Amino acid sequence: MKKRFENYSFVLPAIVFLMIFLLYPFAFNIYLSFRDINIGNLVQGDSPFIGLENYKTILSEPLFYKSLTQTVIFTFFTLVVSTSIGFLLASYFNKAFPGNKWMRSIMLLGWMTPIIIVGTIFKWMLDGKYGIVNNMLVNIGLMNSPINWLSDIDTALFAVTVTNIWLSIPFSMIILLSGLQGIPTYVYEPATIDGASRWQKFRYITLPLMTPTISILLILGLIYTFKVFDVIYIMTAGGPANSTQVVSYLAYELSFNLFRFGEGAALSNLALFIIAFFAILYVRKVQKESVVH
Amino acid sequence: MRKKWALSLFGLIIVAVYLFPIYWMVATSLKPTSAIFSDINIIPAQITLESYQNILTQNYPFLTYMKNSLIISVGVTVGNLLLGAPAAYALARTRITGYVWLIMFILIVQMFPSNMLALPLYTIFSKLGLINSLFGVILADMTLTLPFVILILRTSYLNIPVDLEDAASIDGCGKWRAFYSIILPLVRPGLLTCAAFSFILSWGEFLYALTFLKQNDMWTITLGMRQFVGQFGTNWGSMMALSALSSLPIIIIFMATQKYIAGGLSSGAVK
Repeated sequence: MKKRFENYSFVLPAIVFLMIFLLYPFAFNIYLSFRDINIGNLVQGDSPFIGLENYKTILSEPLFYKSLTQTVIFTFFTLVVSTSIGFLLASYFNKAFPGNKWMRSIMLLGWMTPIIIVGTIFKWMLDGKYGIVNNMLVNIGLMNSPINWLSDIDTALFAVTVTNIWLSIPFSMIILLSGLQGIPTYVYEPATIDGASRWQKFRYITLPLMTPTISILLILGLIYTFKVFDVIYIMTAGGPANSTQVVSYLAYELSFNLFRFGEGAALSNLALFIIAFFAILYVRKVQKESVVH
Repeated sequence: MRKKWALSLFGLIIVAVYLFPIYWMVATSLKPTSAIFSDINIIPAQITLESYQNILTQNYPFLTYMKNSLIISVGVTVGNLLLGAPAAYALARTRITGYVWLIMFILIVQMFPSNMLALPLYTIFSKLGLINSLFGVILADMTLTLPFVILILRTSYLNIPVDLEDAASIDGCGKWRAFYSIILPLVRPGLLTCAAFSFILSWGEFLYALTFLKQNDMWTITLGMRQFVGQFGTNWGSMMALSALSSLPIIIIFMATQKYIAGGLSSGAVK
């Protein structure tokens, strides 16, 4: 009996902590989403129960659908482009050459630099008047005149997506690299003897063996991209004219800038519902891949 | 052999292209204010520390922000290791009932979006008097990083041989004593990875700091960046100098622990 308690004493503090500060707030958010909350009753907690009213308001709000569409676009392009580039880089740095280890790890700087700082740097590089990006593109002759990337409703979403792709590349690369390293070289031997081309080896050996890693990466990336906040906050604050508004930013804005707390809570629950779907997918994948010991 | 060096050279080009934004931050920060808009060469024509001086001498509480960020990051690191190291061990080794569920629970909660928890945490912290408190942000940041730390550490424990612990338990050591004196030293690389992660992620954390720290003198450096635009307009030279200075701690820690980080990152996500 004592021994049993001793075993639990290792894990209990962490679990209790996560329950108080993660699980309880999560449940509390569901509670808040059914209430009519304003600044006066937010902390006191005597807000009236209004059923599904907050959800109805959100679902009848055109901005919700606009931001949802933009979130999907933002997430889709981030995932496709950063995973593709990540795969190319992982294959390249998986080759044996002097300095490859050092190079792979230095790439992680992009992932590690605070997003607020990366956002600021990209804002400067994309500056309409003096930004280096405009400068280069005009000099090379790809563009006739500079573009105000972040203040033009046609280009702002593209610009923040590119920034987010840049941020996501190192993570994709490292995860895919660990997958590639898990493939033993002998599996390629028969194909080499049979004279298979590089493309055939990639298509029929590497790709199938990498599918589990790629799918885990895509699910994780989807969850991470769906909750992106900092990039939008520092670069565009959802503008111009809501053209970079995404669900997670909108939810925060509703609560903390517009003080429509109940609706903010309802929207984050809707977002969580979408994320939870993919989270469950991820957990099942991970379990399948590496059977919990 | 020559082919290998060609690979290295091209690798170097890839790294340089990818890290260009970081380079551009440093390059801009070193240009004289007067040349920032006119000198558009990739390599600055003239180098000066003017922008750095601006930040440190003007009426901008740079050091206060750095200190607050430091307190938060150290707090999160210590907290994560204190709670995470034993928990991960229990989940790796002991046969406690329901450990599969506990692991699932941790896998799922690590994916909760922080902006979703900002509102309920704000309400809870208001009641507990944790608004405008660095301790509040430490707790909030721990919810973001602790699950990941547990997952990474668990794989480290799984990699050490069971015999060692068996020997310890035959010697009649209590579980906790065996843990501290035998197990922990064996997973030092794992602990180091987790410490570096916790520090780096909480250094860059923005949303919780933004939500819970309303008072200017409590701000972290990421919050201070936002204030800077308001105070100095778009003085990009100083802005980039500030960015460079505030990423410095991250870069130092990264350089010191880079050997472990890549491995840790993938073991937490895939294994």
